[in-house]
Amino acid sequence: MLLAIDTSSLVLSCAAMEDDRLIAEWTVQRKLTHSEQLIPHMDALLAEAGISKKEITAVACAVGPGSFTGLRIGLATAKMAARIWQVPLIAVDTLEGLAWNMAGAEAFILPLEDAQRGNVYAALYGAFQSMWLEAPAEAAPVDEVIAAAVRHGGPVIAVGEAADMYKDKLTAAGIRLAPPQNRCCRAGSVAAAAWAKWKRGETADPMTLVPNYIRRSEAEVLWEQRHPEQK
Amino acid sequence: MKILAFESSCDETSCAVIENGRRILSDVISSQVPIHKKFGGVVPEIASRHHIEDVLPVAEEALSQARCTWNDMDAIAVTQGPGLVGALLVGVAAAKAAAWALDKPLIAVNHMEGHIFANLLQYPDLEPPFLALVVSGGHTMLVVVRDYNTFELLGQTRDDAAGEAFDKIARVMGYPYPGGPHIDRLAGEGNPDAIHFPMAMAKEHNFDFSFSGLKSAVINYLHTADMKKQPVVKEDVAASFQKAVVDVLVTKAMAALKKTGLKTIVLAGGVAANSGLRKALTEACGEAGVRLCRPDPVLCTDNGAMIGCRAYYMAQAGDFAPMTLNADPRLPFLADQVK
Repeated sequence: MLLAIDTSSLVLSCAAMEDDRLIAEWTVQRKLTHSEQLIPHMDALLAEAGISKKEITAVACAVGPGSFTGLRIGLATAKMAARIWQVPLIAVDTLEGLAWNMAGAEAFILPLEDAQRGNVYAALYGAFQSMWLEAPAEAAPVDEVIAAAVRHGGPVIAVGEAADMYKDKLTAAGIRLAPPQNRCCRAGSVAAAAWAKWKRGETADPMTLVPNYIRRSEAEVLWEQRHPEQK
Repeated sequence: MKILAFESSCDETSCAVIENGRRILSDVISSQVPIHKKFGGVVPEIASRHHIEDVLPVAEEALSQARCTWNDMDAIAVTQGPGLVGALLVGVAAAKAAAWALDKPLIAVNHMEGHIFANLLQYPDLEPPFLALVVSGGHTMLVVVRDYNTFELLGQTRDDAAGEAFDKIARVMGYPYPGGPHIDRLAGEGNPDAIHFPMAMAKEHNFDFSFSGLKSAVINYLHTADMKKQPVVKEDVAASFQKAVVDVLVTKAMAALKKTGLKTIVLAGGVAANSGLRKALTEACGEAGVRLCRPDPVLCTDNGAMIGCRAYYMAQAGDFAPMTLNADPRLPFLADQVK
């Protein structure tokens, strides 16, 4: 039984998956405080599904990009659980998890997460018979990301919280939006992506795993601007 | 009873294993001080990034040094606040997950209470009641520790904390963060009577402090000298400033001992490591026949051991935290106010 967590956006989501079967998923999009609610939600998920902690054989976590604080809460939780239970930890890119919302769509999937001030975290995945990474994750102005997706061509479907934020720009550019139930971060999709990774033996070390922030802290960027000689 | 305690309120990631409240089986501290130095202070986002990297290796090292496994732990403790919210959240998330994964109780500790309890680790025979003088970068307080879970606040700072004044003046004098130890070193080589700075609220008959006036006076002195291109004897400035701080701390602490009739005073917080304060308080306590307790420098810095010690006495009182626990960057010091 695989337990998956996604706290990389405002959505709080956890899920349990066994082989190719989603056993339970709890996804709440109500701006809850992740720090307060993550463990109670996992506890409720397991209880409602009749799963004991001893049955969990792997833990998966969305590791970014996304909200820095949200990523750390999810990852701190996943690391401790995986280490203490001595089970594998599987790190799933948040954008890849979002792309799995539309697995098998016969289209290119454009996952978008808010990176603030008109910027988005974006990547492009091919979601046909198999899933592949077409363009790697980056933080860029939303207009550039949309222009690049249009240039890429093919049917493109946008997912993620920033797809909601920039709905008008996306539709004006001819990019469709995923239906609402497939648009937000969902731990069920993280679990599906994690299961595929696990089968390929792609596990992470809880002792060293860190979030994929994409961006450095502002303080570091400013410091290097002021001290170009020490870059 | 063995407790694994997490502390991540500022720029140290620390975990400790404490047995029955008083015995330190391990106390592992991963300090980020050198990392923040070039920024002139703690950068919250960078601190949080180091905490998430260090929290599990530090916990594993604490267990390993204590020759324990996760399942040997009877409870998990964590600093809830006060501190930097992003930094606290890493420790809180990790501790909650550990308690949940192990099915063990969780204990949420106030960081400042932890600093006071560091003395119980240093002195095995120390027991309440006693007076505590808490002096750190964020706090300056006089607290009566009536018993292990009852505190009375006699007085606190109305503006800047003493440690804050030390760090700001050091920065104006051109010393890197953390500046307190630089002032302390300089003060040892200077004349404390060279410059007359105002003594912070010494004349008022209460136990409150104020350091912003003193801080401004010292900074004005440095700026005026700079504008007039007059040379400044940094050692004398440091010594005179430090004396003004130490005098008011010692005066009010001794008055508080007299008022309460307590025969023991404990020092707590980062500024408890200041040599000028230690020396003056040692002399005053010697004259008054009062026992002075002060933790070793390692127990004065932020550390998991003091959190585990405090947590043990909370556990004895049945004071456990729910799984909805959140970090609280402005967690108040819950004590009865003494008028």
